[in-house]
Amino acid sequence: MRVVIAEDNVLLSTGLELLLGRYDCQVAAVVDNAADFLTAVRDHQPDVTIVDVRLPPSFRDEGIRAALRARREHPGLPILVLSQYVEQQYAAELLATTGGGIGYLLKDRVSRVEEFVDALHRVAAGGTAMDAEVIAQLVQRAGDPIATLTAREREVLALMAQGHDNTTIGHRLHITDNAVHKHIGNIFAKLGLAITDSGHRRVLAVLTHLNAAGTSP
Amino acid sequence: MSRGRWSQVRRSGIYLLGSLVSGIVTVLALPLLCAPRFALLWADRHRDRAGRLLGTPPASRTDPTTRRALLWLPVNAVTGMALGLLALLCVGNVVVATIATPLWWAFTFEERPRLFIDIAVTGWTTALTLGPLQIVLLAALTFLGFPPIARAHARICLVVLSHSTAGELAERVAVLTRTRADVLDAHGAELRRIERDLHDGTQARLVSIAMRLAVARQVLSDDPRDEQFLGELLRDAHEGTEEAMTELRDVIRSVYPPILADRGLDGALTAVTTRCGVPTRLDIGDLGRVPAAVEAVVYFAVAESLTNAARHSGATTAGARVSRTADRLSVVVTDNGIGGADQRRGTGLAGIRRRVLALDGTITIDSPPGGPTTITMELPCGL
Repeated sequence: MRVVIAEDNVLLSTGLELLLGRYDCQVAAVVDNAADFLTAVRDHQPDVTIVDVRLPPSFRDEGIRAALRARREHPGLPILVLSQYVEQQYAAELLATTGGGIGYLLKDRVSRVEEFVDALHRVAAGGTAMDAEVIAQLVQRAGDPIATLTAREREVLALMAQGHDNTTIGHRLHITDNAVHKHIGNIFAKLGLAITDSGHRRVLAVLTHLNAAGTSP
Repeated sequence: MSRGRWSQVRRSGIYLLGSLVSGIVTVLALPLLCAPRFALLWADRHRDRAGRLLGTPPASRTDPTTRRALLWLPVNAVTGMALGLLALLCVGNVVVATIATPLWWAFTFEERPRLFIDIAVTGWTTALTLGPLQIVLLAALTFLGFPPIARAHARICLVVLSHSTAGELAERVAVLTRTRADVLDAHGAELRRIERDLHDGTQARLVSIAMRLAVARQVLSDDPRDEQFLGELLRDAHEGTEEAMTELRDVIRSVYPPILADRGLDGALTAVTTRCGVPTRLDIGDLGRVPAAVEAVVYFAVAESLTNAARHSGATTAGARVSRTADRLSVVVTDNGIGGADQRRGTGLAGIRRRVLALDGTITIDSPPGGPTTITMELPCGL
């Protein structure tokens, strides 16, 4: 798997290179700014990209904007955005781009190497990897059908929204595939969503619902 | 032209008679008016009234200081009563001369109407000569004298209430000295909190991680086959780094919210209202350049107010409006919840208040039981 990394902090970019090298990922290019990132994506046509939110020159949200632009120029380009903090607003903007895998994770998650590499593969395959903290921000809200979910259903919802498939959810919660399936049926019924089996579309449906619950007047 | 003059005379007359009433009220209500709050309200009324008479635009009227408002009390009592009484005498005596003189014969000898203060009307000669004379003289005085007298009083009023003097500057300096001390206190408390968070949290965790790694190295060189112990040490160290990162993120967020640095006040407030539990309408005008400290306070204040609305008020909608007028930023947060928000009970409102006052701003919390709640803040943001 060929990766392009946009990260201006040398400590972190060398760390990522080291880590990805051990998991059969080839780092095609490491760049430290948005313009070079767009060039590198054109030149190397990577399988997946990793982008830091804050990049020079202003160290604001250049990474997000570069990611959105790269996605427009190369429809379907898988993007995993890394950040020192997560903001629901950014998650919503990233999810609004259609087609192709999207990930948004705290940099902390990199230290759980296998989960991180798993998330990277998921994104590369067109799936979703949303940070648990984004989901926590979304699910916290009161006055919503989410309040009617049981504790277990909420756990399933959180893992599903992060982009995991039924098998992984069952494995994480130590329950059978069948039980996962039943919980998901209940969740979709309570939230009034149509059940879709495709992983990515399912995630989008859930996240769109969660986002909309916060913004609609 | 003459019609304009007459309306001027009428307005001046009403103004002067009003001054008489307000002079009397000032004397009667003096103990109450000595309270700075009432003195300021009273002064505001007079300043606006005088401004209207002189036709000065409201924008050019400055807010009176407490000292000036208190000074206005005796000045108003004396000038208002004296000039007002003069006006009353003029008008009253014209009325007396007009109505009472032709009917002089209807009064008993002791109660005969008097013209020119002390000349009793005892026959048609005095009635028909002095009567019209008094009317003409007083009418002339009214016609020519009222407008300048009323204007003089209005000018005295504005001079007392508006002019910037050493005393006023001294008062302002005293206020700024106090708020500056509050700023330094708040700043100091904030630095101590950050220091404590980093010292007790992140630093302590790093030490414990370093110790575990050091022991792990020792084990590797002494007894590399004790894999279980090594595993435990590495797992603890690893979890320690994750907890340290989470704590560090919380500290950073409390110092200066990253979204504010990324997106500015506009974007940061959009993010706050989006993730708030209550549907919230955000209304932001053109704010121009706003100092970072003010942005941070506005962000915290809006976030905290909306969190309160979502957690405690049972509101179904909320609103946040931020607008700029010249050198002030005004922030209004409303919700349609049950009200009863009390800054003495919750630490949230007290925290907002402390931050706003520390920047020389003002805050009013209007939250009657039953609602709705309106929190209004004004912050100076320079030019």
